[in-house]
Amino acid sequence: MPEPALQLEHLSRRFGAVLAVSDASATFHYGKMHALVGENGAGKSTLLKLAGGAEKADQGRVLIEGVPLAPPTPAEAIRRGVGFVYQHFMLVDAFSTLENLCLGHEPVGRFGALDENQARRQAQAVMSKLDLDLDLEARVAELGVGQRQHIEIIRILIRGAKVILLDEPTAVLTPGQATHLYATLRRMADAGSCIVVVTHRLQEVRAHCDHVTVLRRGKVVLDTATSASTVADWTRAIMGQEPPPPVQRPARPEPVQGGLQLKSLRVESTDKGHLAVQDVSFTVPRGTIVGIAGVEGNGQRELVRAIAGLQPCNEGSVWLDGADISKMSVAARRAAGLAVVHDDRHREGLMLDVSVSDNLVLGDLGTGSDEVKTVARRLGAYGIVPADPSIRARNLSGGNQQKVVMARALDRSVAVAVLAQPTRGVDLGAARGIHEAIFQTARQGAAVLVISADLAELRAICHEIIVIARGKVVTTLPPDTAEEVFGQAMLGEAAP
Amino acid sequence: MSRFRSFWLELRTPLAAMAAAVLVLNLLSFGLGQVPLSTVLTALAGSWGTTYGIGQVLFKATPLLLAGIAVDLALRAGLFNIGVEGQIAVGSLAGTIVAVVLPASLPGIVALPLTLLAAASTGAAWAAFAAWMRTRFGAHEVITTIVLNRIADALVAMLMTAWLALPGTVRTKDIAPGASLARLESLSPFFSGSAVSWAFPMSLLVLLGVTVWLRRSRAGREVVWVGHNERACEAEGIAVSRRKILAMGLSGAIASLAMAGTVLGYKGYYEIGLGAGVGFGGIAVAFLGRGHPVGLLLAALLFGTLAQAGLVINAQVPKEATGILEAVVIIAVALASRAGRLDASARAAKGES
Repeated sequence: MPEPALQLEHLSRRFGAVLAVSDASATFHYGKMHALVGENGAGKSTLLKLAGGAEKADQGRVLIEGVPLAPPTPAEAIRRGVGFVYQHFMLVDAFSTLENLCLGHEPVGRFGALDENQARRQAQAVMSKLDLDLDLEARVAELGVGQRQHIEIIRILIRGAKVILLDEPTAVLTPGQATHLYATLRRMADAGSCIVVVTHRLQEVRAHCDHVTVLRRGKVVLDTATSASTVADWTRAIMGQEPPPPVQRPARPEPVQGGLQLKSLRVESTDKGHLAVQDVSFTVPRGTIVGIAGVEGNGQRELVRAIAGLQPCNEGSVWLDGADISKMSVAARRAAGLAVVHDDRHREGLMLDVSVSDNLVLGDLGTGSDEVKTVARRLGAYGIVPADPSIRARNLSGGNQQKVVMARALDRSVAVAVLAQPTRGVDLGAARGIHEAIFQTARQGAAVLVISADLAELRAICHEIIVIARGKVVTTLPPDTAEEVFGQAMLGEAAP
Repeated sequence: MSRFRSFWLELRTPLAAMAAAVLVLNLLSFGLGQVPLSTVLTALAGSWGTTYGIGQVLFKATPLLLAGIAVDLALRAGLFNIGVEGQIAVGSLAGTIVAVVLPASLPGIVALPLTLLAAASTGAAWAAFAAWMRTRFGAHEVITTIVLNRIADALVAMLMTAWLALPGTVRTKDIAPGASLARLESLSPFFSGSAVSWAFPMSLLVLLGVTVWLRRSRAGREVVWVGHNERACEAEGIAVSRRKILAMGLSGAIASLAMAGTVLGYKGYYEIGLGAGVGFGGIAVAFLGRGHPVGLLLAALLFGTLAQAGLVINAQVPKEATGILEAVVIIAVALASRAGRLDASARAAKGES
């Protein structure tokens, strides 16, 4: 074996009472694609940050080409050729691609002026090596997430990174964009780079990575070549036990009356003056689970807000069980049996510094139900841990926070449920529980609309999937349609 | 965290503030040629050392407590009510007008509630107008309440000089006897001679009422929730704008009661400039009290003590010393609460994985 690119030796990192990373060791090699997997809170992001100097280890050390990383800072790491691509991009929206690419290490000419030609040459050199073509003059604000990510990657390559650490790089990408990203990463690996990817999508690891390291509760529990193990092995290692049987989606009911109906809906975008939802019509009958697939930012958010009543419909109407609810207030729609879970649970779902019990009854005061009983029932039915209603919502894990939001929405008489990103940032166990709750809601006769960036999730739980792009319905597909067809449709091209 | 520890953390800020005040007072008086500690001892003796002093502290703490409750209540809904000053002015004047025109024969059981109602409803409307502009047009309440303070000042001065003041003075006629609040000395000889009136127990009742309302009632809890996360409340169908206007209106109503002790329980008339500065004192009380009823009470007592002590030590140090001490307390609170926040956020960060 040649000398490893990056060695992590017995790293530990404690946050208060939580040992986020516990005596973890791993070795990453040039020319290889490594994956770090584990549930939320297993320590994979922390471990990656330790490797990139973004966190300091309490114990253990990081070796780059056999030499310790000292001081452990991001600046020193990038100087030594280790670059970090963050989950939330660190780009300046108002700057052009080129300006972002050279931000912080600008090539300067005489008198300290920015040498644009030099910068452009550097960028072109990296892009041609990777067979990429970005418009260097475009404003980053106008670019999609896929392109932004490539800017981040090119940026650290220009700075000479040979070890590239990526934190959940595909979380916001379509399957097509993800495949494109992995193709780029593979070219980098083939050219001699060492790639380390944190992800929770095991199928990606199977398809693209050479080596997988599984973390559970801060410890490395499996460290193996992907060719020498199976996805089932990894799942078992991730969960620490046999995975529960896959969820069984309820049978599609006979066509029934009622449910949710959108008629030629047009909704203005929340940030700019254009139409984010354009002429969208579809029906979700009661008892049916319908998914909305599409790249994020293609009108999903506005669609949900318009159905919820948080934003007016410019044209068209929203119907619930045959009644037009377009003009109703949020509260009236709620009372009519509409349940909505918004995509950002911290912004629109929870009061983080308020008790769990208050969060569980937000909006339910004055309905006459016994509050203490309601809280107890919702805590119990959704298995919220710890089952202590007095602690602050902030102190729950992401999965349990999401359960609070789901319990509040679904634990009542629901005619139509609209659920945006119901399992985002939620670990496998909690996601199972949430899927069960969705099925239960459908079985009880509610129409369920699920909006998710996770196509695999939609294919597992929905009866049919509507694909939207740029605010329009592209097509409606059965869940067993091939992934490539979905990917095509998400870019706005309907299959013939 | 243990109960004791959290209690200690709550108490740390006011204690630090008091220690800073005592220290600075010592330095000041030493610099002015006094024997160290002598000024502090005089100040203590003149405030908490006699029954008269205690009564005076309570008298001075009464409007500060009500103003502090008012600022705190608005803060709960996420609104910064800088306008307590103006609400006090218009509310006091409205209450005084009613108290002046009431027939002298009207019994207190009728006259007093009418007077307080006039004050409270005027202050409530004055404050709610700012909240309405915020929710309807997005005009920030900090700006609008500051402007409304100026308007209130001008309006009160104009009404007084044009119609209400007795000729040649800046004061109104005397209020009807039924509208006055009795001094506590009629209750107990302990308070003999001091200006503290029934307004002080009344302000305690307001404190209790607001606390219970915020914790137990639907409207109160929703006000607090709106203050924590407006968007989540809106998404769950809570009438966010109505809750904000309600909180601000109540804030203005309580602010307007702040002068009850001075007008109805002490002077028996209103005059231009009466209560100036109490609204801003209320902001300091609210911050020092940190959203806790006991904290608000202690903070009001602290500022009441400073005000009374300032009078007592007038012979030893100039009266500006009181202003300096109040400023020291506010700065100490700002520093201590920032330290507390850093501490809390560090602990929260460690608690998360």
